[in-house]
Amino acid sequence: MFHPDFAQLAHQIVFGAIAAAGFGVLFNFGLRSLMWCAAAGALALGVRTLGQEAQWSLEAASFVAAVSASCASTMLRRPLGPRGNAVALAGCIPMVPGAFFGQALLGMLAVTTPHPENAALILTSTEYFLRVFFTLAAIGAGLAIPAHLFRNPDF
Amino acid sequence: MTDDPVRRKHRELEKIAMTALRLARILTECGARVKVVHEGASLVVRGLGVEPVGIRTGYASQEITVRSGDNTITRMMSMGAHGVNHRLDHVMRALAVQVSQGGMSVETVEREMDRLVKETPRHPLWLVALAVGMACAAFGRLLGIDWLAFGPVFVGGGLGQAARMLLLRRGVNSYVVATVIAFLASALAGFGAHLLGSGTVNLAMMASILLLVPGVPITNAQTDIMDGYPSMGSARAVSVLMVMIFATTGVVIAEWLLGMR
Repeated sequence: MFHPDFAQLAHQIVFGAIAAAGFGVLFNFGLRSLMWCAAAGALALGVRTLGQEAQWSLEAASFVAAVSASCASTMLRRPLGPRGNAVALAGCIPMVPGAFFGQALLGMLAVTTPHPENAALILTSTEYFLRVFFTLAAIGAGLAIPAHLFRNPDF
Repeated sequence: MTDDPVRRKHRELEKIAMTALRLARILTECGARVKVVHEGASLVVRGLGVEPVGIRTGYASQEITVRSGDNTITRMMSMGAHGVNHRLDHVMRALAVQVSQGGMSVETVEREMDRLVKETPRHPLWLVALAVGMACAAFGRLLGIDWLAFGPVFVGGGLGQAARMLLLRRGVNSYVVATVIAFLASALAGFGAHLLGSGTVNLAMMASILLLVPGVPITNAQTDIMDGYPSMGSARAVSVLMVMIFATTGVVIAEWLLGMR
């Protein structure tokens, strides 16, 4: 039986929304669009958290979350207009595994020291690289597939 | 010489090609996908009464060939720094649609582009710094930093973003900026988190540099490849990797300085 942790879910939704809106400011979205960015971030993080709590892998949960954000932006074509894809993308930015990327590179640096601590370091760094690669691929594919299937006629 | 109809046609074609290239360049610099850039340039070219034959978008330059009857012309334009500017992208797309409906001259389109580039609002530096600091801290919470590290990550990310904008305005190389900002942000966040007794100092240092992770180019790289533009997609992917390598260098220096390595 699937019992989601609602406190954890609410936490991820709130901070997903804040992160998406914050990056929306960096990307120079207008004020009204920032609210849509926050909503997209909340949706994406909510779906991803539910997926992970259902024991999905990070990659699978990220893919479904990106698909959800992209489909939502397609369904909201009227209020969003041509900026729908950009809003969906901003909502998915908090899922980009930047920290994994950095840790993978730091791990690889540690491997190249004259006396690496242990072989497990190589395994961990490789695992981080693969997770970054597959998670990014999942987000990109999740955003692109609905956008291609339900093409937005607005330019 | 100026009455030669072929030469005059070439001059007109040249103006149209350069106007379309300018719009394409602005869209690319605003973070648009190659497909969108090509659609925008094609709308402008057709709206100005000629036909696009081909457009090539590279990371550092763009080329376009336009045709009118038997006359064709090919022109190239170099690209500026790649960034993300949603509002400018949005108004440029609207302009392309307006031009495609006809009735505008090259001079009018150029004037309109000048106006849009000058007048499209940007958020002030202090607001961007605050928002990015908050985004890094929120990102940190998503990664699992404790509440003691929240403030230092906010400060590190915010000051890092402000310094990043100032350095980029001074024309410093963007990869060098990535190292400097990663060092500054992660040192501030790590030192602050350590002082406050946080149990997630390492994670706080990583969270504070997430402002440097080029999320839009990462997804654009994939979409460009999917859309049939693998050279631009690959160039974007390589630039993302370079940014991350330079940012990691900054974190390593900060870790050495804080005695964590």
